Amino acid sequence: MRLRKGPFLWLIEKEWRELLSSRAWWVLLAVSGPLIGVSFISAVRTYAELSGYGGTTEGVGEAFSPLVGVWAPTFSASELAAAFLLPFVAIRVVAGDRQSGALKLELQQPLSVVWRIGAKTLVLGAAWIAASAPAAIAVLLWRSYGGAVYPPELAAVVVGHLLNAGLTIALASAAASLTDHPSTAAIVTLSVTVGTWIVNFIAAVQGGVWERIAGYTPTAIVAEFQHGLVRLDVVLIALALIALGLAIAAIGMHIGVAARVRASESIVLGALAAAVVFACTFLTPSWDFSENRMNSFHRSDEAVLRQIRQPLRIEAHLAAEDPRRVDLEQKVFSKLRRVMPRVDVRYVAATTTGLFEQASAHYGEVWYRLGDNGVPSMNRITTVESVLETIYGLAGVEPPIESGDIFRGHPLAVPPRRAAAVFYGIWPAVVIAGAVFIWRRQS
Amino acid sequence: MPEPMVVVDRLTKAYGRLTALADVSLSIRAGEVLGLIGPNGAGKTTLFECLAGVLPYDAGEILLDGAPLTGEARTSRIFYMPDGIAPWPSQTLQWALEYAAGFFGGSPAAIPGVVRRLDLGPLLGSRIGTLSKGQRKRALLAIGLLTPHPLLLCDEPFDGLDLRQTREVGAALREHAAAGRTLFLSIHQIPDAARVCDRFVLLSAGRVCAEGTLEELARKDTKETKDSKEPTLEEIFLALT
Repeated sequence: MRLRKGPFLWLIEKEWRELLSSRAWWVLLAVSGPLIGVSFISAVRTYAELSGYGGTTEGVGEAFSPLVGVWAPTFSASELAAAFLLPFVAIRVVAGDRQSGALKLELQQPLSVVWRIGAKTLVLGAAWIAASAPAAIAVLLWRSYGGAVYPPELAAVVVGHLLNAGLTIALASAAASLTDHPSTAAIVTLSVTVGTWIVNFIAAVQGGVWERIAGYTPTAIVAEFQHGLVRLDVVLIALALIALGLAIAAIGMHIGVAARVRASESIVLGALAAAVVFACTFLTPSWDFSENRMNSFHRSDEAVLRQIRQPLRIEAHLAAEDPRRVDLEQKVFSKLRRVMPRVDVRYVAATTTGLFEQASAHYGEVWYRLGDNGVPSMNRITTVESVLETIYGLAGVEPPIESGDIFRGHPLAVPPRRAAAVFYGIWPAVVIAGAVFIWRRQS
Repeated sequence: MPEPMVVVDRLTKAYGRLTALADVSLSIRAGEVLGLIGPNGAGKTTLFECLAGVLPYDAGEILLDGAPLTGEARTSRIFYMPDGIAPWPSQTLQWALEYAAGFFGGSPAAIPGVVRRLDLGPLLGSRIGTLSKGQRKRALLAIGLLTPHPLLLCDEPFDGLDLRQTREVGAALREHAAAGRTLFLSIHQIPDAARVCDRFVLLSAGRVCAEGTLEELARKDTKETKDSKEPTLEEIFLALT
């Protein structure tokens, strides 16, 4: 019966066996437990202390969102693993066939390269899910402490990390497929990762178009999902980039095709993906899955803002590194863009820090104008309430009366019991035992 | 004389400025064991890889049963077993044979016979990466013999084998050919080729110097062969290349 499988299932079995025999994956598994554990334990301890544990003064209830207090830091460890460990697993799976000569044999099976790269991606996806098991254990531990879990926001975090892992797998696969040696592929992959960090840094300093580009780096994508925000443009762009990476990997695997033909195909695909990515940046739908609606205005405010159909033009005289600009962007403008159809924000500053612009009479001014011929209004205050009041004033509408659906928070003054034993003891022991068992069984 | 199964017509392949194959033309007849004879660096592996489709060629044409060779026809009719590879090094030989038979659509029932013929029984539980050069060569050969493609290209099937193993593997290949499969073997040790092959293609510096049976090659008018009553393949090769 075993030998009657189709070639794709044989390929899946082969990839899975190769993964199980890969030390890189076992290292990823072994490390992910303590890595996620230390983040979870630290987050829960801080959460407990702020909730009044150990005689400390209890904080403000509204501040206690497990999404920000526990899940974001816990899953951030997964982001580290995805950036620094997962690429090596992916490179091992993709480049191993070329290194051993197995690719020359397997290419003689009339199976499409789509299926070949598909098998590798499926197995690598499963490998990543297995390596994320400690995060699932963290959720169970949190529940056992009596902690609140809001499934939609947790799902958003998980999806964000899956997309991030997908991007890493696609990038590493493409690098492994295009380069002659796994070490070169590793350098290429890590260089791209570091390159995205540099883009984030430049965006923080320069703003402008860099800020827009930085919004689609893996770090920014994960950060948004960790805040429970799911943007259609971000999801589609991530999927397009994953598809591009895997397609280039598939093209690179086809060693029987002339290098210039493969290069041409890759360039055409890259151009196509760039066009798709550019088109996606104009998509505005987004969904706030956070329980405390941290990415949205109050529902009553949103209802009023949605009725304002004129374009809103904002000119903020604030430098890129000015904390007020960061506040405005994250707490006000990003929410405005989600509810108003046309919001155009323009920052005006002569320097990046703004330190020496403070003396300028206009520095710090934020001008708002509704419609093409609307009367502009200036406001230096950067709070949500003040900005909304200005916009309501320009639109000539009454500010809504807030109803009572206010997020009350979920304080939990419980220490991270049993977590250290689970993440630092049981998990590594189970992984080591599993590795020994598998290696003995395969030999 | 049977119609050629494969015709290679003026195949050319260059790596940058180095011409590995220059207007190579030859034919492979169904059911024969054809030997590709040439010294190291003659272009034997390049020719096999071009035929198998794992290396693109620059010019020329390959015909299969009279029609231009397409990707689909190639993967269903031709199988190439490279030299010097260690595929799936962390897997056992047992699994690799099952995988080869299953993945390439061969017959799993043939595994025990191939294992017996190539004396691989004691190695079935060993990982491929741990096999010696000779053991790995027999393992690769077993994988090749388990594939169902009518034409098997085998690069240096005797390399790394001792005398006894060389003879046993040669006999196994002859049996396999007798069962109806066409074999095209690249061999740089001429006595081994003379023992196993029906016909020969002599390749030197990327060019085909001659093609034919031992008798046909001996009839070539050269100084060395004239001096010898029954020239050996080695003498013929030296004379013609």
